[in-house]
Amino acid sequence: MKVILLIIFVTFLQTTPSYTDENISQTGISYDEIYDPIEPINRAVLSFNFFIDDVAIRPIVKTYKFIAPEPVEKGVSNFFSNLKEPIRTVSFIFQGEFYKSFNSIGRFTINTLTSLGTFDLASRVGMEKNETDFGITLAKGGVSSGPYIVIPIIGPSNLRDFSGDVIEYFVDPISNNVPNREYVAIGNGLSERIDLDEQLDKVRDSSSDRYEMIKSIYYQNRNAQLEEEYIQNLPVPKIYIE
Amino acid sequence: MRNLLIVIFTIFSFSTLGASEVSEWFEKESNQFLEIINNDEGTESENYEKYKYFVNKNFAIKSVAYGLIGENIINNSSENELSLYLDAFTDYLIKTIYKLANSSSSSTIILKDVDIKDNIYIIKSEISDKKSSASLYWKVVDIDSSYKIIDVIVENTSYFVTKKSEFNKILRKNKGNLEALIIEIGKI
Repeated sequence: MKVILLIIFVTFLQTTPSYTDENISQTGISYDEIYDPIEPINRAVLSFNFFIDDVAIRPIVKTYKFIAPEPVEKGVSNFFSNLKEPIRTVSFIFQGEFYKSFNSIGRFTINTLTSLGTFDLASRVGMEKNETDFGITLAKGGVSSGPYIVIPIIGPSNLRDFSGDVIEYFVDPISNNVPNREYVAIGNGLSERIDLDEQLDKVRDSSSDRYEMIKSIYYQNRNAQLEEEYIQNLPVPKIYIE
Repeated sequence: MRNLLIVIFTIFSFSTLGASEVSEWFEKESNQFLEIINNDEGTESENYEKYKYFVNKNFAIKSVAYGLIGENIINNSSENELSLYLDAFTDYLIKTIYKLANSSSSSTIILKDVDIKDNIYIIKSEISDKKSSASLYWKVVDIDSSYKIIDVIVENTSYFVTKKSEFNKILRKNKGNLEALIIEIGKI
């Protein structure tokens, strides 16, 4: 049964277009029309997420940011980011990026041994962090993004990236070997929310349609991780004499 | 062979000259921008006026505004509608830049690199304050011998691309009615 479900899932991912055809830019990526067949549901979930954020998460984040000194905040963020280095190592192996894979495991070793991951010493010695995940691995393997989805509490994603998250949950060497993995997941989620706090505040009041804004930002950031010359290839306006 | 070398040298000299000129322009204008965003004194309306001056001077407002709605809407709208839209968009651009930048303090901008592609200068810089730093790209064009910004990209998020998605959605929802977009962006 699991195998059948997996086949259906993978087939759906491979055949579902990421974007409709109009306004294709030079890179083949359209930012105007992202495939979003369940938009009404997504909008409702986003409103729910903002409601939960307003009443529960945001007050915690603001209080934490008010109380915690800057080095503590940075240390906690580094700690959770360091826990992801082993899964990044695995992802890079699947992508055939062996140098980056060695870099990730090297970073994990150095940062864990020197500060339990709270201080990013590895970056100071030239081992910069490279972001990746299983969603990126699937994308590099030719899997299209599928429909855009907003996941309750977690936020924006698409079928491919969400599948990547599910795979990561089962293969992550860290979370599979800690006694209370749900606490690690909650801590990690909160840490990511804290890191995004300023950007989220700006999204709240600088947009005429925050749903569209968040969707666009999500896809731009994912595409930046996938494309070599992402900035150069972004669409630009036609020039008019001012 | 000699002629070919001269041609290559001339092309290289012009592109280097252009890059150094745009770098100079960038250093000057980014310093002015920093003065505005780091200024904690002054009333909100005074600060807003400073942003207004900066945006009017340095942004290719018409190109960005028209680029956001696309050729079809431009061709199907009257001059009066387009003029109203341009005014509304100018105000919207100032307000959104103001809101995005105003929470920063003690910031610095460091020029990293200048690249040219299809007559567009891509200026790579880094903006940082005491807490964090972010990559900041500026896409700049030379219009009538003055440099104008057509896009600002903060940590991979392009202002132009993001606003195009938002504007397209509003226009599509209102069957391409520009007036509806003017009302909507006026709410910011």
